Amino acid sequence: MSRQSFVIIGNGPAANQAAESLRSQGSEAKITMLSKDSFRGYLPHLLPDFISGSIGEESLYFRPHAYYKEKNIFLRLGQKAVGIDFSKRRIFLEHREVISFDGLIIATGGKPRIPEYYQLFEDLMLTLKTPQDAKLWISKLKSVDSILMLGGDLTSLSLTRALLKMGKTIQFIINEDSFWPIPYSEEIYKAVAQRLESKGVQVVHCNKIRRVTQIDENLIEVDTDTCSVRTGAIGAFFGLVPDVRFLVRSGLDIDRGILVDEFLKTRFEDVFAVGDCAQVYHPALRNYWVSIGYQNAATLGKIAASNLLGSDLEALVAPESILDVGGVKVNTSWWTEF
Amino acid sequence: MTEVDFTVEVCGMAGDGTIAVGGLINEAMSLGAFSVLGFDSYPAEIRGFGRCVTNSRIGSSEIVALGEQAHALISLNDEQSRSRVPFLAEDCMVFFDSAPPTKVTEDKSLLSVLPPGAQIFGIPFGNLAVSAAGSARGRNLTALGGFAAVCGISPDLFREVIGKKFGSKGDHIVSVNLKSFDAGYEYSKSVFANRLGNIFSDVESNAASPRVMLSGNQAIGMAAIDAGLKLYFGYPITPATPIMEYLAKYLPKQGGRVVQMEDEISSIAAVLGGFYAGARAMTATSGPGFALMTELITHGVMAEIPAVIIDAQRGGPSTGLPTKTEQSDLHAAVFGGPGDSARIVIAPTNVSECYYFVLKSFQLAEKYQTPVIILTDFFLDNRVENVVAPKASEEQKACSNVFPEESSKDNYQRYHYSSSGISPRAIPGMEGFNFTATGLEHTEKGIPDYSPETHSRMTEKRHQKLFSALVDLKEPEEFLSGDSLDVGVIGWGSTFGSIVEAVQRLRKSGFSVGALKISSIFPLHSEIIRKFMAKSTVVLIPELNYEGQLANLIGHLDSKPVERLNLVTGTPMPTSVIQERIYQLMEVLAQ
Repeated sequence: MSRQSFVIIGNGPAANQAAESLRSQGSEAKITMLSKDSFRGYLPHLLPDFISGSIGEESLYFRPHAYYKEKNIFLRLGQKAVGIDFSKRRIFLEHREVISFDGLIIATGGKPRIPEYYQLFEDLMLTLKTPQDAKLWISKLKSVDSILMLGGDLTSLSLTRALLKMGKTIQFIINEDSFWPIPYSEEIYKAVAQRLESKGVQVVHCNKIRRVTQIDENLIEVDTDTCSVRTGAIGAFFGLVPDVRFLVRSGLDIDRGILVDEFLKTRFEDVFAVGDCAQVYHPALRNYWVSIGYQNAATLGKIAASNLLGSDLEALVAPESILDVGGVKVNTSWWTEF
Repeated sequence: MTEVDFTVEVCGMAGDGTIAVGGLINEAMSLGAFSVLGFDSYPAEIRGFGRCVTNSRIGSSEIVALGEQAHALISLNDEQSRSRVPFLAEDCMVFFDSAPPTKVTEDKSLLSVLPPGAQIFGIPFGNLAVSAAGSARGRNLTALGGFAAVCGISPDLFREVIGKKFGSKGDHIVSVNLKSFDAGYEYSKSVFANRLGNIFSDVESNAASPRVMLSGNQAIGMAAIDAGLKLYFGYPITPATPIMEYLAKYLPKQGGRVVQMEDEISSIAAVLGGFYAGARAMTATSGPGFALMTELITHGVMAEIPAVIIDAQRGGPSTGLPTKTEQSDLHAAVFGGPGDSARIVIAPTNVSECYYFVLKSFQLAEKYQTPVIILTDFFLDNRVENVVAPKASEEQKACSNVFPEESSKDNYQRYHYSSSGISPRAIPGMEGFNFTATGLEHTEKGIPDYSPETHSRMTEKRHQKLFSALVDLKEPEEFLSGDSLDVGVIGWGSTFGSIVEAVQRLRKSGFSVGALKISSIFPLHSEIIRKFMAKSTVVLIPELNYEGQLANLIGHLDSKPVERLNLVTGTPMPTSVIQERIYQLMEVLAQ
């Protein structure tokens, strides 16, 4: 009998935890990790600290390349999956390679979301998802002192804290659509705004951005329905959108992310989805929930690995503990850290 | 100033244009005033199948050994390139065809076996070449363009060498190749805009100029012509054939002749005939052919007829490994053949020495009236180096035959005893200097004579010549040495570059190590070698043979046993292996 082959698509916390768990639970299968990114797995919540200079680049990455060699895990960076044939258990890569698998864990994560109504100005906005994005921020911050933050997700608040520490001037337009799938209520909006202002951030109250104009390399003018703002750079933070576009016609059930049951299984046998790219069914809620944060993602990665090896572990993490959903209290847990 | 020491490999199937791309890299970087050492390996079989690999090491300082770990791999065939993965640096750049004509399974994919630190650059080689030049044949040039762009090498260097390489085939061929190159270059500049490097752009090369790119075999051919070679007789055999090809192209233009003989026996016989008649003559062969020549080489020894023989060593015995390198003909060159048939054996260690040693070999053969064997090997023959353009002085070209005095006319003794062992040599046709030359033992007049006295004296004379030759043979040369050494490394032939590099590295780390290069394999400068061995606590002799053939030859010169490092992998001696062995010896010494 040929050796089993497990493939993990992704290289984030969920994917890495899944790979480690497969190996630590005694699997001797061939384990391949596919990542479209060319850099090692990193800790996204440390990116603001990297930008502010509090930590060096190496601290961002959670494992050296030698780890994968030691664990006999084939980490394939910069190699993008463009399709999957679940019936034949084959993955198609962008460079025309075809990989077969016996078990698959999809952990592609998410990518920065720019709402449709802002996509017109997308080229003038910086996002923060990867070390490369962070390097762009570092480069830009050398020549600008004021930043306009759009959105209001976890990353934006964390970055704001780092930028204030660097002595930068921050203006903030809180957007009600910034923390998918949890909507901002008026109560949350006020609480977040108050918190920001108490730290010296100027919150710009408006409903709409009408125009964004680049005056020169380091000066951008933003016209809103209430005022006009001049800034050196714009950061866009509207949460993440699951990176599952390549699976749209694959037969998987996809809403915003890949729909999986409480065991993290997709509708295909031995195929799992975890992390930011998945929506997990919760029997008590009779609805799907999403995971946010690297620790949650890693937990799900571990559960998926166990289940791929034959366990029946439920993703028991209660939605309340993931997002602290439950009114204002729920949301304070993420923004009061600021 | 930034130092650069960069190794790039190109790998593909025969017919992919692999060797062409490797050659263009060597030429372009040489044009850019870098020191370059390149080596190709290709299948033993005729074109059509088999893996081809080129290795180019490029440096701002003098490069003396092959690169062991590639910093860049250009893959023209991913399945074949999988074999190169163990030789890649951890963060190696890998250029591959991102749009092959057919789907690739994991077991044939290069990317599936790359280390995670590899930086991959997918370029649709074939598609770009078709779009730019109408044919996928230029996909190797497209790959080259991508490499140039990502590494920050001026495209003008490549455009110039592409023009030179294809110029003889007409403007159209030059044009399509340039288009293919430019397509890869522009694509990579655009697609990898945020990943472009400048490995070579801020480097000021130390390499002396002007330089020419030569292989060992080309240098041999060039030296032979500069030495005034009149006759070349040979039979094709890898890795010596390129010498005959070179001479076939250029020697007739100088008034010489190249004759392909029916075998190696007739080749050496014709060389002896040519020299006997007063013309400089040469042959080149490899182990199996050299074995066939053995009897007639000893005829040259006995009859005191000059000959120049290149033995381009390859893996043996017998047919062995035709396209792999080895240094295992030393015993055969020094001792091969019947009787006490001492002859001169010299061994160059780099391309430049290939030129100057061959040049010198004609004078040695003439003056000492004996066959001179030049031991090269597959690695030295086929590697290319951009060397300072070799040039022979009139003195180096001059005939060194010791002609008889006019006074000996009509009483000429061809094999006259002398203190040096050298007897004046007349050329047939010189009036009043008739003589008999025979493979039988003979008197001073050349008359066959088997008496104990004659054989004893003549044997002594023939050996005395060899000792006399020591004054004209290059003395062993110490590199990076000192008054006393913990480890003294002795080497010969193509292995010596790796020895020097290993010793250089270790001396930088404060180790007491040194190297001795022996170019005159026989006769030996025994005293110099003995002194070096005596001042070394441990003597190490790395060689590409199993038996330790140089170690066998010189081991007796010192009372302590020599340490041997013998590899028969068919590949050049890796610097790191020598380095590791020295470390081990140092550890033992420290205990």
